[in-house]
Amino acid sequence: METNKSKKMLIAGVGGQGVVYLTNLMVEAAMLADVAVATSEIHGLAQRSGSVIAAMTFGGNAYGFVETGGADFLLGLEPLEAQRCLPFLNPQSQVVIDDKRIFPYSVNAGTATYPDTAAFVAYLQKNIARVIFNQDFAAGLDAILRNVHLLGRASGLPGFPVQPQYIEQALSQSTKSSYSQQSLQAFQAGQANEKNN
Amino acid sequence: MLSKILQIVTPYEAPEKVCVMGNEAVARGAIEAGVRGVFAYPGTPSTEISEAFKHVSTFQNAPDRRKEFPKLTADPLYFEYSVNEKIALEKAIAYAIGNRNALCCMKNVGMNVASDALMTITYQTIGAGLVIIVCDDPGCYSSSNEQDSRYWGKMASVPLFCPATPEEARSMTKDAFRLSRELLLPVIVRMTTRVGHARNIVYYGPIDTGIQPPKFEKLPQHINIPARTAAAHKNLIDKLSGKVVTEALHQHAVSRLPEKQNGTKNKPVSLGIIASGVAAIYAHEILQSPEVRDRVGLLKLGLVHPFPADEVSNFLRQDFERILVLEELEPFIENEVRVLAQKRGLRIDILGKGFAGLEATGEYNIDIVSTALAAFTGLLLSAYNRSGLPCAEKYLESLPNRPPALCPGCPHRSTFYALKLAIPRRDSQIVLCGDIGCFGLGALPPLQMLDTIHHMGMSISMAQGLAEAFRSKPQGEKFVALVGDGTFFHSGVAGLLNAVYTRANVLVIIFDNRTIGMTGRQDHPGAPGQSKYREINLPALVKGMGVDYVETFNPLDLQDSFTKLSNALTHEGVAVVVAQSPCLLIPAVKANISKDSMIRVDHSLCNTCHNQKDHELYCAKITLPKSGLAKARAKQVAGEHIPAKEQACPANICNHGFFSAILAGDYKEALDIVRDKMLFAKVCGDICHKPCESLYRENGGPTVPIRQLKQFVSDIEENSRDFTIQKRRISNVEPKQQRIAVVGAGPAGLSAAYDLLQQGYAVKIFEKEDEAGGLLTYAIPDFRMDKKGCAAEIAQLKALGVEFQFNSCLGEDIDVSQLAEQFDALIIAIGMGVYPTLDVIENNVGETSKFTAVSFLRQYNLKSLAVKPASSIFVIGGGNSAIDAARTAKSLDPANEVMLSCIETLEEMPAFAEEIAHAKAEGVQLICNSNVTVCKTDADGRISISLDCFTEKSHLQELRCDYVITAIGQRGDETTVAGARLKLDSSNRIVTSAATGQTNLRNVFVAGDISAENHISLIGAIASGKKAAVGVRQLLENYDFAYEGHVALNRLNTSENNFASKPQKNGKFSALQVIEEMPAFELFQACEKCNHCIDNFGCPAMIKVNGQVEIDDQLCTRCGYCIDVCINDAIHWREVRADVLPLLPVEVLNGSSV
Repeated sequence: METNKSKKMLIAGVGGQGVVYLTNLMVEAAMLADVAVATSEIHGLAQRSGSVIAAMTFGGNAYGFVETGGADFLLGLEPLEAQRCLPFLNPQSQVVIDDKRIFPYSVNAGTATYPDTAAFVAYLQKNIARVIFNQDFAAGLDAILRNVHLLGRASGLPGFPVQPQYIEQALSQSTKSSYSQQSLQAFQAGQANEKNN
Repeated sequence: MLSKILQIVTPYEAPEKVCVMGNEAVARGAIEAGVRGVFAYPGTPSTEISEAFKHVSTFQNAPDRRKEFPKLTADPLYFEYSVNEKIALEKAIAYAIGNRNALCCMKNVGMNVASDALMTITYQTIGAGLVIIVCDDPGCYSSSNEQDSRYWGKMASVPLFCPATPEEARSMTKDAFRLSRELLLPVIVRMTTRVGHARNIVYYGPIDTGIQPPKFEKLPQHINIPARTAAAHKNLIDKLSGKVVTEALHQHAVSRLPEKQNGTKNKPVSLGIIASGVAAIYAHEILQSPEVRDRVGLLKLGLVHPFPADEVSNFLRQDFERILVLEELEPFIENEVRVLAQKRGLRIDILGKGFAGLEATGEYNIDIVSTALAAFTGLLLSAYNRSGLPCAEKYLESLPNRPPALCPGCPHRSTFYALKLAIPRRDSQIVLCGDIGCFGLGALPPLQMLDTIHHMGMSISMAQGLAEAFRSKPQGEKFVALVGDGTFFHSGVAGLLNAVYTRANVLVIIFDNRTIGMTGRQDHPGAPGQSKYREINLPALVKGMGVDYVETFNPLDLQDSFTKLSNALTHEGVAVVVAQSPCLLIPAVKANISKDSMIRVDHSLCNTCHNQKDHELYCAKITLPKSGLAKARAKQVAGEHIPAKEQACPANICNHGFFSAILAGDYKEALDIVRDKMLFAKVCGDICHKPCESLYRENGGPTVPIRQLKQFVSDIEENSRDFTIQKRRISNVEPKQQRIAVVGAGPAGLSAAYDLLQQGYAVKIFEKEDEAGGLLTYAIPDFRMDKKGCAAEIAQLKALGVEFQFNSCLGEDIDVSQLAEQFDALIIAIGMGVYPTLDVIENNVGETSKFTAVSFLRQYNLKSLAVKPASSIFVIGGGNSAIDAARTAKSLDPANEVMLSCIETLEEMPAFAEEIAHAKAEGVQLICNSNVTVCKTDADGRISISLDCFTEKSHLQELRCDYVITAIGQRGDETTVAGARLKLDSSNRIVTSAATGQTNLRNVFVAGDISAENHISLIGAIASGKKAAVGVRQLLENYDFAYEGHVALNRLNTSENNFASKPQKNGKFSALQVIEEMPAFELFQACEKCNHCIDNFGCPAMIKVNGQVEIDDQLCTRCGYCIDVCINDAIHWREVRADVLPLLPVEVLNGSSV
């Protein structure tokens, strides 16, 4: 891999799940680490429980856009939304998916079927460099902490664009101090979880 | 938040590196340029710009902040959300005329509203800088069109910038101010979603803090009169070709030519790209690919109007063979390049729209641009030529979409729901004209309560225009305008004024959620969140405009909203209904949500339909979604609420679906729901003893007269004849190889055949008579039922494919063992063949003077009965056969004297109370609690009978008669099943499994009166036939569901016949009366397929877990509206106590057990 090549990452989820929060956090962390960072987000109507995909690039000569097959990392906060990002993956991609299924209306109404997440994960395991399927985590985590936990797991992946220490620093700087402590713990638990595996 | 605000208002001497959104960078650029007043209307993708100023303004005006940050708050900027873009721009123009730098900010379509102001100010003059930000939306992520606002630059003759990155958004906005001040002309900065919402490194610099004293110069240019305009136009054109603009054009046209490669000639730079906006950034990134790095020149244009002709011309003269123009949306630059090449005589290929997938619609992305560049250069761009993972299509096809939805607890959803109940949509005589805003999501499933959406404020004009178009049509179409509060103040208000003034006939529903919700809670005149604004009282405003029908309701109160909407719909003239409840995203409202209670779904009340297990079975829900709505409407208006489980049918007919179909006015559908479960809709309508109406009523009270309704729907001849659904089902089902024999063509056997046939079995029915129908044909007298209707229903079975073999008597022509071997399964439904008599009658009455009830009725039905006129007929027995015989005897000749003696008291008689009442009314004398002690035939041929009181054993009376009919119970005929080793009970009825009708012989089943389990009634026979069919299916196919009607059937089997003697109100109704008074009743229990809450309401907090509706506590806002929505009353409040954990485990909500 070229050392100066930018790293590209997608964060996918459902509106309200925290895609924007995680993106902001990664921006903060990258700025602290002095890594050039850029993002491109879909806002607007997607805020109302629609699909949200944020693209991020780290390193020079990139502007936050991810092309087909161009994602080095994918953080899927919701399995269906992660699956929707499949075209952006390539055999070297590394993926973290949280098994928090949120049914779209059509599935609740019985007019569509939720895809088989296990089959999708198995497919990824066969076809890309690495898959972390987050099924077990401490109960009682709210959506944000859960995402931070997931990021903790992702941060140990080889070549992850920002060192964990900068993410921790960014977490500590968040304004609500009691919460930042909790999120720091969630992040570290995620990291530990990964080291143990 | 504070750190971001401080960052955006702090001047930096050395460039400060930040990573911000393009929209924030625009705001920073304006601040650096010394903007003093900002006037905006929110709209995605522009909103973050105005929001930044809103926060800055709040910060700079807050007293504590002013104390804490005196420098940063020294000269607070003015910010407002104006009522619309036109007002915003007009006010911004005036602000700039007053010598203070102004910014006006809006989304693409906002410019259309503001354009009137733009098109004249250019001929006049301003005093300070005025920059207009307009944000386009290629790809239409959040806009009603994809217009290319660059044309406004051309149209209005003003300079127009197109930033490509957040940093350019900052620097160009800043430069736009400089240009504007120097030209005294507004300057436009045109953003796109991709640039405004991208985040990248931006360098913040110093802030112009120059003093801008308010000043108004009385210049002639401020008065725009025709005499001056021509000269003003020329002046405007001159401004654009002046030095200031020429320099700016040069400054913002950046060309990048690859360095010459050490004099090598093999790689000539022969290709050039001219690009603008984000397309230039895509090109820039892709051009770093090694294959093209040194081969393509790039000219990036930042100021695109006026057209930088010299810069482009210089670029074109670089000996390029081909030029590719990259720009989103219209060929704005491309066309200028082509004109320029023609004008300057440059022979060069120019490519643009239409080349290699470059379209004028949609958003560009790296893939589109890299494909175009590969085609343009003829080179393979390895980094952008990834084929994707193998078989990825398989995992991408049919992924469910996730469209946006109204938030959980959103009051708009509730208003739509009440409207759904109030408006009978199926006649489509009511047209719902929608508007822009959150509530526009009401057009999508599950609400689908909007027929039109155009542009901001159009709804009210739309409704009145349509109403006018329909004025000549006498029949009452109604046109309803639905508009949000923000949109109403934006432009709907003028439409309403017009409606009042022109005496339109429209209903206007204002969805007043106290904010502009879609773009994230902005103030508007009706709902200011900030103290500096003043609230306009919306209902008072509307009244003041002359609307005489104005109502306000809280949408979370379903009953009230439903009533007020229903009433308003009938108003002639302009009516306005304001649905007022705050958006849950307003922080104060959100903070008020108490989590002390939770809402729970009681699954014992939710999915209690006994059809649920067999999804192959036809369901009312499948063809009639609106029946759920009819039910929901009934829940709001009905006086009587009867749980459908209290009106359950042993034959498992979906009575709530049936009733709902009638409520919805669809009688064919109602009949189909009956026919789905049984053949005998008409017969049951005539003679069913209707246990459904009263047997299960827990607290008595009025009941829905199901039988009368059944009669009513089956009396509609064309519907009654129509078995299309059954035919279709039989032709669609996979034919099964197994063959079933049914012995006995009475209601039980025919019902079993009907069900099995529709499951694909070949069914052959053996019958000892030469006609089918059993007791229906031979026993039930014609004054009780429509014999022709009955025959017609039976005839359908043959038409559907059942094979009949008549004159085959079990025990004589055919036998059980033989049939059980020849067929895969056998159902015995032969009825009881032995009719015992009393010795005292048998020994003392001559053959021509005595009958059993069955023989009497049979001869009557066969028209072979010989009874002398004006005779006396004595009937013995208290059951239904006795009553039938007595009534028949009376019907033969009104002069007949008919006496009925039975050992039971009147209350204890096993006959149906209704039948006894008929008999009495017709003149049958009942001698209850009596038994015959002496009987003799006199010399004159008449019969003398002596009766004792049965209980007292004392002599009661003497009487004389001409005929005696005995009806004292029936027994099975053991000879018919002789040799088959079937277990019989004391009445020689065959013993079976209660669940399936299966006998001790594996493939032999029993149904109808001959089954020891059976309830002796028509519906009992039908149900037992259906149950036997289920038993057969369990035996022969992979079918492991119980008979779905078992709850009602078991209850019937254990009940006394006389239960119906309780007083029933519905007795006085005629069927038509019932139909008219229908809303008085409601059967409100639905089934698993109900899904009413999801299908018609669809709050995102209602989720499905393992197929059942649950409430997600994290999403639920505790509005409690779903409690009213549920037609089963299955949703309830539950208090949360510290010692009680939530009932729904966290992992269920997390979806891991899905």
